[in-house]
Amino acid sequence: MNKAIAKRTARWSILVLMILTWVLPAQAAVQGVTGTQFNLVAREGHVSTPDGGSLYSWGYALEGGLMQFPGPTLIVNQGAAVTVTLKNELPQPAGNVSIVFPGHAVTATGGVAGAMTQEAPPDGATAVTYTFTASNPGTYTYYSGTRVDLQAEMGLVGAIIVRPSGFSHMNPTAYGHAGSAYHHEYLFVLGERDARIHQAVASGIYDIDTADYFPVYWFINGRCAPDTMLADGVPWLPHQPYGSMAHTRPGEKVLLRLIGGGRDLHPFHHHGNNSLIIARDGRLLESAPGAGPDLAMSDFTITVHPGGTVDAIFAWTGEKLGWDIYGTGPEHEHSCNGISVNDANPASEGFDPVTHEYCPDHGKPFPVFLPEGQDLTFGGQWSGSPFLGGADALPPGQGGMNPNSGYFFMWHSHNEKEMTNFDIFPGGLMTHVVIEPPGTPINGGH
Amino acid sequence: MMKKTLKISTYLVVLVGVVAAVAMGAAEAAEFRLRAEAFTITMPDGEAVAMWGFVLDTDGDFATAEGAATSPGPVLEVPVGDTALTIVLKNNLTTPISLVIPGQIAAMSPVFSVDDQGRSRVRSFAHETAPGAEGTYTWDNFKAGTFLYQSGTHPAVQVQMGLYGAVIKNTAQFQAYSDAATLYNWQAVLVLSEVDPLLHAAVAADDYGPGKGMTSTVDYAPKYFLYNGDPDPQVMNIGASAAAVGNKILVRLLNAGLESRVPLLNGLYMKQLSEDGNLLPYPRQQYSLILTAGKTMDVMLEPKAAGVVSFHDRRGYASAGSAGAGQILLTEGAPPTSPGFVGGGGGGGGGCFISTLVD
Repeated sequence: MNKAIAKRTARWSILVLMILTWVLPAQAAVQGVTGTQFNLVAREGHVSTPDGGSLYSWGYALEGGLMQFPGPTLIVNQGAAVTVTLKNELPQPAGNVSIVFPGHAVTATGGVAGAMTQEAPPDGATAVTYTFTASNPGTYTYYSGTRVDLQAEMGLVGAIIVRPSGFSHMNPTAYGHAGSAYHHEYLFVLGERDARIHQAVASGIYDIDTADYFPVYWFINGRCAPDTMLADGVPWLPHQPYGSMAHTRPGEKVLLRLIGGGRDLHPFHHHGNNSLIIARDGRLLESAPGAGPDLAMSDFTITVHPGGTVDAIFAWTGEKLGWDIYGTGPEHEHSCNGISVNDANPASEGFDPVTHEYCPDHGKPFPVFLPEGQDLTFGGQWSGSPFLGGADALPPGQGGMNPNSGYFFMWHSHNEKEMTNFDIFPGGLMTHVVIEPPGTPINGGH
Repeated sequence: MMKKTLKISTYLVVLVGVVAAVAMGAAEAAEFRLRAEAFTITMPDGEAVAMWGFVLDTDGDFATAEGAATSPGPVLEVPVGDTALTIVLKNNLTTPISLVIPGQIAAMSPVFSVDDQGRSRVRSFAHETAPGAEGTYTWDNFKAGTFLYQSGTHPAVQVQMGLYGAVIKNTAQFQAYSDAATLYNWQAVLVLSEVDPLLHAAVAADDYGPGKGMTSTVDYAPKYFLYNGDPDPQVMNIGASAAAVGNKILVRLLNAGLESRVPLLNGLYMKQLSEDGNLLPYPRQQYSLILTAGKTMDVMLEPKAAGVVSFHDRRGYASAGSAGAGQILLTEGAPPTSPGFVGGGGGGGGGCFISTLVD
């Protein structure tokens, strides 16, 4: 496809898709299983790492499904009476397994009594039943309440999302209050693993000193970068179904559901814009019940501690960049608040209601002299143009990861050692958000 | 709305006024006498680890025995009416020690050493008490809240060796802070800490320091994790009775170790009231907390139903050889018949501190 056709196609697509999105907003939603009854089984399997390795793991599976890391994301509605059953198909020496649901008042029956809750013995048959009422909306986690130091490390961790009463996929909120409204939502279960523990357990050694903990892999939703940026459910990662690549469009709100799934603290640093932390542990940061997130705080590095959860709302604005994100000159004709970029006085106040361009910067030229193609090393994420939606000439085979000419911002652990896969950079706890041009379809989600 | 706020404010002013009047009438200095001594803990894996700790002298004579030292040391509760705190310290260790309370204002007299390059280096944040000697440490205007007392001398070593404990003060009877929302029926103090056995062995054998077998704490690797000094707690009953659903249990959490810990409660939310002895402007509803090294947090538990809630460190730290994996149960059973220390086990003593009932 030559440059001219690419441009025409892009413009035509944007126009059509903008019209389409007015009718049917394409919004990313967290993938998981919905309902009120979930039958889980603890099973073994292997988690793949991008360096070609694999880690022997334990995880929760849906009955009839494969072990997953993290376990199936359980999506329930506020007020629902939720039942989770657990059977244990792990090898006999693994011992009992259980589930705790922090933030919920759980009644456990069946199985055998454990230190924290009822446990399922490794007989593949005995079922423990956990019931609770999902009384409050929000982001929660579940994990094994049996020898947590070892079993959570082995992979027995998952996420729960409780949708607020009156939830609408057309106008979603995290907590019912307008202050928690969003367009797209993404889950980020953060964690890390010490490979020695997995090797030992795979060799039948269960007496492990977990105080001597030295993780070498770091994960988002059970995957290490760059696998984090693959789609949900890719067939070659059968035990790691959840990706964590975020997509959004200028001005739209992205709900980040962060969960501390490991043992360590990870400073999750999201480039592009600040986010507003609206909730912790499934409770809005509010001064009084019903007040909404009036105690929310703006942040760009979110540390969600192990077992805890954080909800934050991110929006990419492009505000005060000092240049026009859609380009300047006759070849980049566009308007902001109805004023052409080629007008003598293009700037105006506020944001354009359709393109979400920051109008005070409308018509301001890009302040960098772009080098010639022969002076560049290309990456798959460079569209050939610094302008949003502005595909430009690229050598053959380049730009394939950025078909809509969006902006990529890295979201990663700012403890940068955690951006490695067993000493190999880049990898680990890292993904990207793509700011797609207005009108770009955003489907599915993670 | 405005009227309601005004009414509440007036009520509070009157209440605070009454408390202040009572406090002024009774104002005096609280004094505690602490002996610092070495002792040994037997860890769950059988290893005996040398510790340093404190024991409260209750009869005004350091020469008489009041039992073995513990780490953490005794919980010191400064009475509501007392504005000043004095601790008389008897040093039965073989090295100079001192006392500091982060978050409390005191006249500090640091002690300096001159190194081999002629540089003056601080060795102790407060004046030292020599081995065998007695020293006096005073805080003239002790602020209400939850605080750690600990050695201010070579703290990288001495705090790890066990020279720490909780010191608390209420603003009114059974009320932790100025806000009436901090009124409680029960309270518990939970001090988290850690032990690196190699460091303890080196210090006990006088093999720690320049030119010796261990020259710094840079290789710190804790292997044992203590809850009120207990390396392997199974059940820690903080005594909210089954009949006391609706009770308010204040739990004062303190981290005397070096690792960040995550106290996590299953089945109940905590209302976090404070941090570092400061009342939060708004309480936070959380089931987990990030309790970093040196930090204190006060949380209120309000049981909604009879039963058992479990409490554990979600960072997964568990003592080598322990069965409990750092789990503590708050069993809503019958309350103890008399206030005092309950729970505990292992070799650390201490247990869980229970205060008195309001009603």
